[in-house]
Amino acid sequence: MTRRLPLLNRSSWSKRRRTVAGALAGVIALALAGTACSPVEPAGNDTSGGNQSAAGQDVFGDPVDPAQVRQGGTLTVALSADPDKLDPTLSRSLYSRYVFHTMCEKLYDLGPDAKIVPQLATALPTISADGLSLSIPLKEGVKFADGGTLDSNAVKISINRGLTLAGSGRKSELGPITSIETPNANTVVIKLSKPFAPLTAALADRAGMVLSPAAVAKLGANFSTAPVCVGPFKFASRVAQNSIKVVKDPLYYDAAKVHLDAIEYRIITDSSIRSANLKSGDAQVADSLSAQDAPALQKDGSMTVLQSQSLGYQGLTINVANANGIGNPLKQLDTPIAKDPRVRQALDLSIDRAALVKSIFNGLNTVACSPISPKSEFTSDAAQVCPSHDTAKAKQLLADAGVTTPYKVTMITSNNPDSLRLAQALQAMVKDGGFDLVIKPVEYAALLDQQDRGDFELLQLGWSGRVDPDANIYNFVGTTGSQNVAGYTSPDVDKLLTDARQATDQAQRIKLYGDVVTQLQKDDPLIYMYRQRNLTGVSKKLLGIQVYPDGVIRTAFAGFAK
Amino acid sequence: MRRYLLNRLWQSVVTLVLATIVVFAGVRALPGDPALALAGEERDPESLRAIREQYGLDQSWLVQFWQFVSHAARGDLGQSIRTGEPVRTMIATALPVTVELSVLAILIASVIGVGAGVVAAVRRGRPAEWAANALALVGLSVPHFWLGLMAILYLSVALGLFPASGFVPFFTNPIDNLHHLILPAVILGTGLAAVIMRQTRSSMLDALSADYIRTAEAKGLAPRAVIGRHALRNSLIVVVTIVGLQLGALISGAVVTERIFALPGFGKLTVDAVFQRDYPVIQAVVLVTATAYIGINLLVDLLYSVIDPRIRVRGDA
Repeated sequence: MTRRLPLLNRSSWSKRRRTVAGALAGVIALALAGTACSPVEPAGNDTSGGNQSAAGQDVFGDPVDPAQVRQGGTLTVALSADPDKLDPTLSRSLYSRYVFHTMCEKLYDLGPDAKIVPQLATALPTISADGLSLSIPLKEGVKFADGGTLDSNAVKISINRGLTLAGSGRKSELGPITSIETPNANTVVIKLSKPFAPLTAALADRAGMVLSPAAVAKLGANFSTAPVCVGPFKFASRVAQNSIKVVKDPLYYDAAKVHLDAIEYRIITDSSIRSANLKSGDAQVADSLSAQDAPALQKDGSMTVLQSQSLGYQGLTINVANANGIGNPLKQLDTPIAKDPRVRQALDLSIDRAALVKSIFNGLNTVACSPISPKSEFTSDAAQVCPSHDTAKAKQLLADAGVTTPYKVTMITSNNPDSLRLAQALQAMVKDGGFDLVIKPVEYAALLDQQDRGDFELLQLGWSGRVDPDANIYNFVGTTGSQNVAGYTSPDVDKLLTDARQATDQAQRIKLYGDVVTQLQKDDPLIYMYRQRNLTGVSKKLLGIQVYPDGVIRTAFAGFAK
Repeated sequence: MRRYLLNRLWQSVVTLVLATIVVFAGVRALPGDPALALAGEERDPESLRAIREQYGLDQSWLVQFWQFVSHAARGDLGQSIRTGEPVRTMIATALPVTVELSVLAILIASVIGVGAGVVAAVRRGRPAEWAANALALVGLSVPHFWLGLMAILYLSVALGLFPASGFVPFFTNPIDNLHHLILPAVILGTGLAAVIMRQTRSSMLDALSADYIRTAEAKGLAPRAVIGRHALRNSLIVVVTIVGLQLGALISGAVVTERIFALPGFGKLTVDAVFQRDYPVIQAVVLVTATAYIGINLLVDLLYSVIDPRIRVRGDA
């Protein structure tokens, strides 16, 4: 016999029907509202802002005022990409530098003015008259996170590791080092076979990070699994492709300046979701904001958008003679754009850089015509000369070169939305100059592969930039440069670059790099277009976050506002 | 039975070997080079050579394959080229997250789907059915990515009800764990809920027009008992089968959901490894997935043979 249940009679069904229908209608209404909506503006939005600069100005952020922050708390940083190995010797990505900054201090650091300042050293290196010896004085009483003491021997071990470890990314940065001497516990002397001016700048990056000798001895090539250095924070954990956590190191020599308990780096690759995490408060800092998202965040009274102009560039590389792949003998390509500099100059003149920056990047990026940033110590008038946009001249140059217009040229570019937007704008722009630009979007890993194999005619890619101009020029346009994917060769440029490497006088280096730019603009193997502005979103609940021109977000001494 | 068992086991091993070969060759056929992907913008020929040497990428495919298989047979899935971490640890961390997310998504989808399906069948031709059908249409046609983004914007950013990203392990804090997973699970479950709703509705309509339902009603049984104990119960058999079949789609949906909500799951691990050409990770995740799939299929086949002896007999023949 079936038991009768008391709850369900016709009227109660009717009531339920109305409730369910109402709930369903609500859900659908929400979904449909979303379909037609623009992103939600947070409540209490203060459009007057107050924290923002005009477009195109750097906002580095202010150092923390200890009286205004409370002790403790975990900062969550939304990172746009997963750092690679957390080993300063093997690491190659910018994102690992964000994490290293909190746990692996360097002999030298960079100031907001892009000038090198001592960090674990006490002064800039004393360079001998012949430029073959650098003496570096070290701080005393500095402890590694494992309790070991930092001394000249530890520095020697770290630099030697950079020179000798298989797969080291530091070897070429460290230059022609012949030996490292340790006359006493607090002095390191580096000997060189020939002068190498970019070395001090290299020691202000990963090559200058000092690793715990005990951890190196214990872990060897697996140092990245439990890295130990000197820093305000020490490594705690890593969940592959998801998050990295560092916690405050009580042994740090300046521990009183550290306010946070921990920092968690959370990998969120999509820029709109990074922005959403920032707005929701799940993250307090987000790197690499999209130029599309930044204006909305700038209007948000609870956010600050830090901006620092990159020391690198974005540009177009023309395959001149990379027919056999990088590292193999150069072979001139048989196309007008590869053979005739006038065709490359015409392409350069067809690009309206100012319009590009304004329309695609909301004016947040800046025009670039050379590998030397105007923010660099090595800038000069010659380094900042910029060919003006002139389509008539471009067409004339193409006619002089005997090229029929429209001249078809195929460009490979990364298939992310920003790169595609840029490519489409370029396509429309260079049409007026007589070019028919064909866009071939390629996934990033495949793009690198095609680039190195020389399987391209024109390529859009950039470089994140380094402090010393040598690192931004030599490898890309030097005949033997490791990334000379254009296959460009010019004895004049090679000589200028070598002289600049070996010159110890800064004024002389500035002059030489100016001459390099002049020559590069004549040959145009690489058309520099614009310099990115590193856009970092920061919640106003947090004080003391700074971003310098090297693009690294300084989080170590930040704190939550009281 | 023993012969049938051996036969099925042998077939499973062959399938696994074939899957391993396809994956091994497939990742290498992709354009791109793991050494270049790792080196990124900082690459010079010497360090590229060293990376290739370190991970055996300079060896012939045959040698690489043998190394992969022989190490995997000993339980060693290698090291990630990108992070240097043991792949086994990476999988052991990621797998439980995806399993928990999927189970939660199935639960949520079943509750919503069955509920809406019953309402749609019982209230046929009325606004409740239209609403349920519209809901199913939205669930089926709106991509997870967009839905996830909207959920973050409305429920996390505007209302602050759920975290927009992150994960807390269940055994660290169960409440926090659920709080972080509920939104991704709802998003992941939308497609499945729609499928379940449509299936429940159609099975319920069949059941409601059956003779035994008329008999039950004629006996004076309350509508709730007729629907719940007779019609729904019989309709659920098909629904349960559908849920099983949708499991694969659910796991592939988890790839997108995990990326949106920054969950450290198996799907995110796989996709990121493909983008970074991290061969050891790609090979290992596919090997683990293929083994699980083949294992489950084998188990199901064996259960069938226990339930239906005719299958066993045909297998023996």
